[in-house]
Amino acid sequence: MTRRQIGPAIAYIVLILGCVIAIAPFIVTILASLKTSGELVRGIFSLPEDAQWKNYVQAWRDGHFGRFFLNSIIVVVGVVIPSVVMSTMTGYAFARFRFRGAGALFAYFLLGLVIPLQALVVPLYYLLREMHLLDSLWALILPQIAMSMSFGTLLMRQAFLSVPREIMEAATVDGASSWTTLWQVMFPLARPMVGTTALMFFIWTWNEFLLPLVVNIDPKYHTLPVGLLYFQQRWTSNIPVIAAGATIIFLPLVAMFLLFQRQLVEGITQGAVKG
Amino acid sequence: MQAPSSNEPGELIAGATSLVAPVAPRRRRGLSGGIEPYLYLLPGFLVFTLFVAIPTVGSIILSLTAWNGVSWDTATFIGLDNYIKAITDHRFQIAFWHNIVLVPYFVLLPLVIGLVPAAVVHQLQLRGARWLQAGLFLPYIMPGVLIGVVWAWILNPIFGPVNKILKQLGFSPPTWLGDFTWALPTVGMIGAWAAYGFCYVIFIAGLQKIPSELYEAARLDGANTWHEFVSVTLPGLRREIAVVLSVNLINALRAFDIIKATTDGGPGDRTQVMALYMINTAFGSRQAGYGTAIAVLLAVITLVGSMLVLRLFGDDDD
Repeated sequence: MTRRQIGPAIAYIVLILGCVIAIAPFIVTILASLKTSGELVRGIFSLPEDAQWKNYVQAWRDGHFGRFFLNSIIVVVGVVIPSVVMSTMTGYAFARFRFRGAGALFAYFLLGLVIPLQALVVPLYYLLREMHLLDSLWALILPQIAMSMSFGTLLMRQAFLSVPREIMEAATVDGASSWTTLWQVMFPLARPMVGTTALMFFIWTWNEFLLPLVVNIDPKYHTLPVGLLYFQQRWTSNIPVIAAGATIIFLPLVAMFLLFQRQLVEGITQGAVKG
Repeated sequence: MQAPSSNEPGELIAGATSLVAPVAPRRRRGLSGGIEPYLYLLPGFLVFTLFVAIPTVGSIILSLTAWNGVSWDTATFIGLDNYIKAITDHRFQIAFWHNIVLVPYFVLLPLVIGLVPAAVVHQLQLRGARWLQAGLFLPYIMPGVLIGVVWAWILNPIFGPVNKILKQLGFSPPTWLGDFTWALPTVGMIGAWAAYGFCYVIFIAGLQKIPSELYEAARLDGANTWHEFVSVTLPGLRREIAVVLSVNLINALRAFDIIKATTDGGPGDRTQVMALYMINTAFGSRQAGYGTAIAVLLAVITLVGSMLVLRLFGDDDD
């Protein structure tokens, strides 16, 4: 090997190593979820002799992951769709109109980027208690829509600012109302950004842990992350079933990741501004 | 006409205005729509105000009271006492110190592990690296609880694979997360593992924006790879380094999910951190006022820390 090839060769090895270290825990977890406890003791990298799907049945039914999964889906849908619609509207207002207080209102919406959930979770808990929303999925959906507004407004405003204004003017000349222009002309043009925004909302909501931990004590309203935590504490040594539960949480994320990798990188780069 | 494909905030806005400028030079951008813009803002404004703004103000007020969190009439105004109590509270001091100890693990380690390969991939123009990038940032999108649960198993002293292998090799490994000395560094390493792919992705994105002429010029000057790294790559990535530093710092100071799922602050208080102590105080020991004061301190410390980083490493209006 010549000197010119050694550098890249080492670089590739380091990169592949970094990649392996990043994904190995997930691979090992999937493998563990399909083994018996006995098999697991013998080796963690080996393939399961006979896939133990019953681990999933056990996690899904006895571990209530079925319920947690359903709750997570309801909360994600209940957060992502209204958040996208509402940030489309706020982003559009800031991008298209000139109005009194626009600057101050925009700054107000962006405040959410610097205020972490931890800073407001205690009063939020008592607010939800007063509203009789504790131990319900509403306690997860409503605050998370609110917390999505800052990032959503920021991104959607950018998206609409990038649409050439002639397009919008043409629609206005045609007599379309601003509402029609928004949903029939602007929204389709902003679709890449809408996708990125929705994807980030999905991941944040799917992964949210502190809020459900605090506001919902009743296991009936647990989402996957909190469900996994309590499940792990109760079943400490039954690794294959815990691994099955863990796999149920991360497979949807992996699927999203494989389908929308480009938007995801975009979102992560943009999302860096969100604290 | 096509919308510009770039989604960089600065470029987008610049692009949009440059598109507008030649067409309508005298016209200010935006229509005045009377009441319309306010109607568009209304739903978002209401939900944001109710569930973010009001609780934030509530935090400040609550932090000035002594309250057990049960019925409102038991709350009493005590001024800044909660803050004074926090500063002199030994357990809070320990928690704060542990957050500081986590900083090298959560901030510097992933920065270096992410920066070096990113620079190498870019400078040597490695092919196929895009494909590896996918695997690298997978941990970053995973829930902290999941990361905690998986690592708690992998590092479990009795049935975890790591210690099994180490024992076979003749070592006598510590119990990691259960060990008084090792627990905090172990949590730190898990945090570093979760973050390095994120740093890599941000740096790779930033490197695309460095004009290749700069590298060519450096090469003409006889620069080797190291010189290119120091004189072109590092200065070109200044903004990204600032972003990564501040995001990682925020994660170190607010650390909660991974710690809750691995050690829950233990053994003893060896991995106690501010966020965990805040939740336990506010809800566990029913000191809502005091817990909220800790939450406000946590938010302020985080904000000051990240502003400081952005100030020190961010661009000074170049």
